[in-house]
Amino acid sequence: MITRIKKKSPLFIKISFYLALLIIVVAGATAFKTTKNLSKSSELVVETYMVNVQLEQIFSYLKDAETGQRGFIITNDSLYLDPYVNSRESINNSFAELKELTKENDFQQNKLKDLSSLIDKRLNNFERSSSFSVNDNLESPKFDPVFFEGKELMDAIRSKISEMTEHERVELLRRQEDYQTDVLLTPIFLFFLILLSIALVLLAYYKITKDIDSLKSYNEELETFKESANQSEIISKHGNWIWDIEEETYIYSDNLYRLLGEQPQSFKPNLDTFMEYVHPDDREKLEKDVAAMMENEHLPFVHYRVIQKSGNIKRFKSYAQVLEIDGIRKLIGTTSDVTDEFESFRLLEERNVELERNNKELSAFNHVASHDLQEPLRKIQTFLSRLVDKESENLSKNGLVYVSRIQNAASRMRLLIDDLLQFSRTNKSEKVFETANINLILEGAKQDLAEAISDSNALITSDTFPVMYVIPFQIQQLFSNLISNSIKYQKEDATPEISIQYSRINAIEDDKLIKPKKEHYHKLTFTDNGIGFKNEYAEKIFVLFNRLHGKSEFSGTGIGLSICKKIVENHKGYIFANGTPDKGAIFEVYLPI
Amino acid sequence: MKIFVKFDLHSVCTKVLENTLNNTQIKHTMLGFGEVDLQGSPSKETMEELAEKLSEYHIEIVQDQKSILVQKIKDTIIDMVFNEDNNLHVKSSVYLSETLDHSYGYLANLFSEVTYTSIENFIILQKIEYTKQLILKENLSLTEIAFKLNYSSVAHLSTQFKKTTGITPSSFQRIIAKRKELLKK
Amino acid sequence: MNENYINVVLADDDEDDRLFFSEAFDELKIKTRVSTFNDGVYLMDYFNSEDAILPQVLFLDLNMPRKSGLECLKELRADEKFNDVAIAIYSTSSSEEDVENTFVLGANIYIKKPSDFKSLKKVLSDVVTLNWQYHTNGLNKDNFLLRL
Repeated sequence: MITRIKKKSPLFIKISFYLALLIIVVAGATAFKTTKNLSKSSELVVETYMVNVQLEQIFSYLKDAETGQRGFIITNDSLYLDPYVNSRESINNSFAELKELTKENDFQQNKLKDLSSLIDKRLNNFERSSSFSVNDNLESPKFDPVFFEGKELMDAIRSKISEMTEHERVELLRRQEDYQTDVLLTPIFLFFLILLSIALVLLAYYKITKDIDSLKSYNEELETFKESANQSEIISKHGNWIWDIEEETYIYSDNLYRLLGEQPQSFKPNLDTFMEYVHPDDREKLEKDVAAMMENEHLPFVHYRVIQKSGNIKRFKSYAQVLEIDGIRKLIGTTSDVTDEFESFRLLEERNVELERNNKELSAFNHVASHDLQEPLRKIQTFLSRLVDKESENLSKNGLVYVSRIQNAASRMRLLIDDLLQFSRTNKSEKVFETANINLILEGAKQDLAEAISDSNALITSDTFPVMYVIPFQIQQLFSNLISNSIKYQKEDATPEISIQYSRINAIEDDKLIKPKKEHYHKLTFTDNGIGFKNEYAEKIFVLFNRLHGKSEFSGTGIGLSICKKIVENHKGYIFANGTPDKGAIFEVYLPI
Repeated sequence: MKIFVKFDLHSVCTKVLENTLNNTQIKHTMLGFGEVDLQGSPSKETMEELAEKLSEYHIEIVQDQKSILVQKIKDTIIDMVFNEDNNLHVKSSVYLSETLDHSYGYLANLFSEVTYTSIENFIILQKIEYTKQLILKENLSLTEIAFKLNYSSVAHLSTQFKKTTGITPSSFQRIIAKRKELLKK
Repeated sequence: MNENYINVVLADDDEDDRLFFSEAFDELKIKTRVSTFNDGVYLMDYFNSEDAILPQVLFLDLNMPRKSGLECLKELRADEKFNDVAIAIYSTSSSEEDVENTFVLGANIYIKKPSDFKSLKKVLSDVVTLNWQYHTNGLNKDNFLLRL
């Protein structure tokens, strides 16, 4: 037989742990991404501002140019033209900046192209209008339209710039919104993730703590168990050993060393060291058993003797079976010191033999009593009767009296021997129980007593009995002894009436039964109308050879009721007597069901 | 196979007797109750031959008148006990003296003189034998047998059975059953 | 075989009992021939000899040296030629076991040796008379059981 022990793997803890780790990684990644987004958003915002600033700058350069141009036109002083000259370069710089800033925005690029052409136009316009001033023909009708065109171009530029600014504003707003959402959602998401991972970690922690707790209590239990196992090993004189099948190593419990008469763990356990202790006569057989054990990985009960170093011979009994823990196979063995049991068994056997011998002696005694002892007595009696028959004339009166006294004594002795024999026969070992019809047994008893019954006109009434598990011939004897007892002790002026009643009783409900072994009993009640007896003799009448009446009043040796008691005891039952002087006697017989 | 047979000894003996007489060619008339009337008086040799042949069946030629009468008494009693519609309710002494035409006192004295036992004992013996037969073969209960054989009670029959045989009817039944079991083995 | 005599045989190792037995028959009115044997071996040797006269009744003591009454009983009942011999157990013991056992094994009569001479005479006379009646009246010998 192989026993397997499966460990409950902490799968749950592992899963929670990995899940928490995953969540933290996800949270980290999210945070990183969000931070990146954030910096990008702020870059975009800055970009928008830069675009606006450059646009404003372009416009302000244009204004400066315009103002300078106007001053030049009015004064014709070329000094005023400086801003205009500078503006061109500045505008170009700003434009390049803008182009770079909006390179990802097609809308603004288009607008920027428009703006660029407008600005070019405007600058051309400046050129033309300035030439009017240089040539001093401001009054020329051609100047006005040019000037006016400049104003219109300026307006167009303004509107374009404001369009672009507007676009940037809208863009900025959108980005700000995105940014807002990012800023708002990310922490919540992260928060939840972290919360979740905390929960998982907590759960895992709880689980681990719990496992550790139970492990601890298991450990405690194990410790207690180990201690109690140690104790029980010492008290019940056995030791345990483990053979690791793969590793080929042995572990002995402390007590196994003690059983071998050694200090616990005082030598390295292995097969060879153990065999040294085994009785030489048993070694070969045990070696065979162990070889079989190694092959079959099982050791049936084996018996052998060991010799302790002190020279004491002990009888051991070993047994082992395979235990499988997580795929590792070990042979778990028990070895007990059965020397005491063996001794008591041997004693018991000796007693049994003795008992048997006693029984044989008893039956030999029976034989002696029945045959050998009776034979000389019978001859004495027969020779006496011959003496009386043939020689009475030759005897004196006294002689005849003596002879008749001898005859009386001899018949009394015969009676005693017969009864003693009958008593010892009820005691003999052959007790064959069978399920018997008690009604037939009673009929048999009545047939035995047929003569006494018809002579005394005794009236016997009885209930119908169920079958009982009894020794039939003994029960018949019980019945005839009780009935003949009733007939014998009848009243002079009345015919004997004997009734036998049956009932099935519950042992607990009957307080006469002391320490009943069975729950239910058959109860047979024999009631008669005889001379009865004083109740103080109720127990005495069952004692062997105990008589309540003088020999001259009633014949008998006082053995009949002793036999009844013996028979009832053979059936593990009870018998009680109850008497009322001059009224009658009641005998109650209880037989176990 | 085992069979049980029931036979009437009286008619068997009568038949054996008749056959033997026929074989010896002695002219005769069967008178019943073991009485045979022979014509004339056959020679001593013939009679010895007949006696020898009959002795094979343990049939004995009773010589004197006393023995003949005793045999008649026995036959009457056996008939009285074993016959199905027996006359046991009639007092046996009356029945015997009426049937055999002698005073009962004479019959009783004669009987005990020849057989060393009394007529009463002989009747009891036959009744007990019949009881044994009824117990074993008809499987009748003691109560039924007691009624059939006109006993006043079962106890009376039991008592008589035990007095005659020394054992009770149930012991008798048990012993015979055990014997049969032993034979089977 | 002389019809006027009844042959009886006793096997008993006890000299006194053989004496009582023979004396009792001597005093009875019945004409008998009594032979006695000292044990079962002598008895069986005689029974198995060719010129043996088989008795009407054989009285067997149970307790005998060499060959017990029980052994003789078994041997006799195993042989059909002894069917006509009524076997009476003649013993000191009266244990129910012995009685039933010997009856079952084929004994017809069980006698507990009486302890006075008158009873002995009565018992022996009863046995012989009853056996004679069984014999002469053609009663079923299988049912012949008598305990005295």
